[in-house]
Amino acid sequence: MTLRFLVLSATLAAAAPEQAVRILEKNCWSCHGPAVALSGLRLDSRDALEKGGRRGSVLKDDLLVRAISRQDARLVMPPTDKLANSDIAVLKEWVAAGAAWPKTTQVSSAKWWSFVKPVATPNASVDAFIDNQLAVRKITAAPPATKRTLIRRATFDLHGLAPSQSEIEAFEKDASPKAFETLIDRLLASPRYGEKWAKHWLDLARYGDTAGFEQDPYSLYAWRYRDYIVRSFNEDKPYDRFVKETIAGDELFEDPEAQQGTGFYSVGPNRDMLYKVEDVNRIESLTDFVDTTSSVFLGLSVGCARCHDHKYDPIPQRDYYRMQAIFAPFQKNRVFLHYNNARGYDLAENTRNFKLYEYAAEIQAIKATYQAAIRKEAIAKFPKDVQDAFHASEDERTPTQRRLVEQFSPRFNARDNEVMAAMSAADKERLRRVEQRIVGLYANYQPGPFSPGLTDVGRESPRTYVPTKGVPPPGEEVGPGLLSALGGKDIPDPPLTSLTTQRRSALANWIASADNPLTARVIVNRVWHYHFGRGLVATPSDFGSRGTAPSHPELLDTLSADFMRDGWSLKKLHKRIMLSAAYRRSSKPAAGTVDKDPENQWLARYSRRRLDAEEIRDAVLQAAGTLNTKMYGRPVVPVQTPEELYGMSQGLGNAWVVTADKAEHNRRTLYMISRRNFRMPLLEVFDRPDGVLSCSRRESSTTAPQSLSLLNSKFTQQQAAALAETASRQSDPARFIFERILGRVPSNDERTMTSEFLAKQTALTSSAQTALTEFARGLLNVNEFLYVE
Amino acid sequence: MYSRRQLLETAGKGFGALALADLMQAGPTSVKAPHFAPRAKNVIFLFMHGGVSHVDTFDPKPSLTKYNGQPLPGSFGEGLITSRIDFRKALMRGSPWEFHRCGQSGLEISALYPHLSDCADDLAVIRSCYGDAFDHAPAIYLRSSGSQFPGRPSLGSWAAYGLGSENQNLPAFVVMSDGAMKSGAGAYHSGYLPAVYQGTVFRGGKSPVLHLASPEGIGEKSQRETLDLIARMNKRHFAEREEDSVLDARINAYELAFRMQAEAPEAVDISKESEATQKLYGVGEPMTDDFGRKCLLARRLVERGVRFVQLYHGTNIGDDWDDAHLDLHGSHTKMCKKSDQPIAALLKDLKAHGLLDTTLVVWSSEFGRTPLAEGKNGRDHHPYGFTTWMAGAGIKGGRFLGATDEFGLRAVDQPKTVHDMNASILRLLGMDHTKLTFRYQSRDQRLTDVHGEGEFTNWLLGA
Repeated sequence: MTLRFLVLSATLAAAAPEQAVRILEKNCWSCHGPAVALSGLRLDSRDALEKGGRRGSVLKDDLLVRAISRQDARLVMPPTDKLANSDIAVLKEWVAAGAAWPKTTQVSSAKWWSFVKPVATPNASVDAFIDNQLAVRKITAAPPATKRTLIRRATFDLHGLAPSQSEIEAFEKDASPKAFETLIDRLLASPRYGEKWAKHWLDLARYGDTAGFEQDPYSLYAWRYRDYIVRSFNEDKPYDRFVKETIAGDELFEDPEAQQGTGFYSVGPNRDMLYKVEDVNRIESLTDFVDTTSSVFLGLSVGCARCHDHKYDPIPQRDYYRMQAIFAPFQKNRVFLHYNNARGYDLAENTRNFKLYEYAAEIQAIKATYQAAIRKEAIAKFPKDVQDAFHASEDERTPTQRRLVEQFSPRFNARDNEVMAAMSAADKERLRRVEQRIVGLYANYQPGPFSPGLTDVGRESPRTYVPTKGVPPPGEEVGPGLLSALGGKDIPDPPLTSLTTQRRSALANWIASADNPLTARVIVNRVWHYHFGRGLVATPSDFGSRGTAPSHPELLDTLSADFMRDGWSLKKLHKRIMLSAAYRRSSKPAAGTVDKDPENQWLARYSRRRLDAEEIRDAVLQAAGTLNTKMYGRPVVPVQTPEELYGMSQGLGNAWVVTADKAEHNRRTLYMISRRNFRMPLLEVFDRPDGVLSCSRRESSTTAPQSLSLLNSKFTQQQAAALAETASRQSDPARFIFERILGRVPSNDERTMTSEFLAKQTALTSSAQTALTEFARGLLNVNEFLYVE
Repeated sequence: MYSRRQLLETAGKGFGALALADLMQAGPTSVKAPHFAPRAKNVIFLFMHGGVSHVDTFDPKPSLTKYNGQPLPGSFGEGLITSRIDFRKALMRGSPWEFHRCGQSGLEISALYPHLSDCADDLAVIRSCYGDAFDHAPAIYLRSSGSQFPGRPSLGSWAAYGLGSENQNLPAFVVMSDGAMKSGAGAYHSGYLPAVYQGTVFRGGKSPVLHLASPEGIGEKSQRETLDLIARMNKRHFAEREEDSVLDARINAYELAFRMQAEAPEAVDISKESEATQKLYGVGEPMTDDFGRKCLLARRLVERGVRFVQLYHGTNIGDDWDDAHLDLHGSHTKMCKKSDQPIAALLKDLKAHGLLDTTLVVWSSEFGRTPLAEGKNGRDHHPYGFTTWMAGAGIKGGRFLGATDEFGLRAVDQPKTVHDMNASILRLLGMDHTKLTFRYQSRDQRLTDVHGEGEFTNWLLGA
């Protein structure tokens, strides 16, 4: 031991300064270097070491050595992983010897991997990277999936629906080597694609049709943003353009369609209608905007830097507030989808209100006479003391009389049917005419041409301060700027003629740029995550040091570079990913490979996944033959049983206004209302997120309440009955049900099982039709239906 | 979850039958070891929904009576805002109820709680709770999850996540209310924790869990047939996919669902209780029947190993504590009448069953009510100083902690936040609130966020 140590130190001494600085550069400079100096500390020159940060010189009291050797739990550096013992030894020696700086230092500023622009590996296929890792790890890849499995996988991935039996058969028959490519093209061209992928985006955008909290008021036009997202995916809007529309559509584009992107900032939870807490709300909104923008587009969790310099990523608190200053002048607004119509709508609404006040007064006047008479008559039937109490004027009532009035008053209010019974024919006619006029006002009533959006209050912005310990409130003022760790600069003042601050434009252009190392990587990784159930970076909204390191960094880089070269086209990206052998593998692992990679991060097989909440509901409707594929429009409120509606914060008359047209109830789940205070139980139980915080990765739990809901809910019963009803008109009803739900012909065994089941259930329920319904209800609950593989 | 094959292999290596049974149930809600020896195994949280007036129940303020009808002196009202009244203009109002010294300890409780007064020596009263949200929904979220914005896991979810459940046939976290929560169901959601830790609502009647009952017209035999069909199909499917334990877990989930169909209705069947017990809770009496049943159910659930039972009192539109806006006297008389006897019965009954030592009972509300009058007869929302009490779990009762100022406005002595309370509750359950974490949005999230330094477990235990 001793001898080895001596030899080691001897070698170290010679190369110490260069070696020591290289260790600092590699491990420390991303947070304590030229770009960012967290805690005020830089470690990139001898002077800087001497000067130190908030704790003073790092050379004093052995501070540097104590931090890297982790002697003090409150000062542990680097915060992620401990340095190698050999590196610690080098630095210890170096500091002990006086920490001499090497004569020549090239500042190459080693950066965190995701802060360096992605570079494509030329001529490399997706599979090259994956196969390489499998070979290194000696994991055998599973064979390709069958065509039947593949079409089901691809259709659920791109449409969130199952392929029909005829589609499956056609694909199985297509012997062309391009069959799968043709299939992907067909799937991507269908409008069902935008509906499926919009939902992924809406999870990230914490979308909801109401604002949340006690009153849970409607966000009346939120659905326009949902529809805009569906269209954006279907049109394959270039992602850089989409980012610009989202962050600064109002400043960068005249086309109202593009301006709708800013709805991203209007469809989240809010207390906009709780006026007394406006100051808190504004701060909460700013926090939400900064956090959501960074995590969704940059994969950075900047939220930590709200209170202090980020402890793991190179984000100083000051940067957090420079970013907050970008949104400081925000104001929610309505995007006019068509200027003249929007103005016309507001004018009509204005006149309508004026007329309504008048019509309502007229109705009240007609009824008043009758109400008074009825009330008088009712009072007269009560004892004298009650009568006296009511006849006394309000000021003269004794306390006892006041109590009597309070107690009995509600009883004397005339009910509407009493009023109508007493009313003269002439007054009834007057009333009818007024009511007709009111109905007339609403004959063509519909939502106006508006979409929820965001803009600035004007060219001037409220100021932004960094709340800092030791600095008297409000703290140090900061201007708008982009993250310094990524080379971001201050944002200049806008031209004098500008109507807005143009801060968000600067942010949008900076994010939606090929020079930004994160933007393309983050979205490419999200798409990969949705296809494989796990991203190349397993934490899709965290590319910082608390996130997971990429499993295949070069693959991610190559895909990202190609994605930008392809004009930021998501459809091309889907195709590139789905055409890989990795995507087309069977989910059945080759023998002995599961233990080597239980999480399947090396992709030797396809990861089987449960259908998500929306897919389950949609697939049940589809199997039952009841799915209504109508697109777009106001959120649909489907029938729920009273037990299912339990727990609503508002009366159901206002909170659950069931859509009159029943055919609407069977539309895709995307179009069902998403109240912030209430999730439909079937969706909730299958892990639909609550739309409060941005969700980048859904849970996929397996619980008994899921089984109860899918087994016993009215929804399943009704759909099973509908399928059984259609089936009963077929020559082989049971087989029809089987094929509809599982997309395949039953085996001989299964046929026997089916007949036995039907016979038993027919005997038990005394109804062949009920037995068929039970058969359908059962099959809608089997794993073959609930999982994609 | 373990796959069958793993189980058999493990069993072959000499695990006893008991361990096998445990393994069969190993899942997200199987029992987990706490950080250290717990005082409480279970929690019954009695949440008075709508806001209970502290100065009329557990925090006597003679000064309010003395200066009845006068505005607050000096700058007392500056800087406070609430839902409707203006603290600078509204007038003080003395409590219409007398306070009595109760039990051996002489703890002061108002005449609103004649039954609970018998239990005074069990109650540890915290008179110095405070918060910063004066609207119902944010305040309810704050009290349940530590944040006035929705989306964070509730206390019950954290308890279920940290400790699992002793009974796999019932949910780990059960909620009972009358439905109309001002916060919506967000008050008992699991937030970013997996959905399995969410509060499961138990409803009245024979089918306490949503979708528990088989479809109409489908008898038990028929239901079993259909479940067998599912099981047969699933087992054939699984035979070729044995490496995937999730598929096996879902097969088990259907069996568990079936067992729940059997066990849950039994758990809520209070006809099994003696007449005397039912009477103790006020079951059958018009005023106390509803909450009496819920309290009795809470005891039955805790007895069966449910980790966390959350009862909400006053969640009917037009029948909640918040009716005190217009009518303090009427609302509090009615709401106390409905809950006093059931709560006292719960404490007594838990004690009689030997469960109080291991069950923590918490009584709280989203905020107190203004010591100033709203209109002629009411009190408004008041989050700046109010009362919570705890009992059971080895807590030394008959005492109070902290104080509000002379007028009951602000918590001034030992002010306690919701984080301090939650840290204490977790400690009693055997968990260190700084170590119960879940990684989300790149942070190791905690129920107490970065707070909880005002934990008061030692005081509760009289240590």
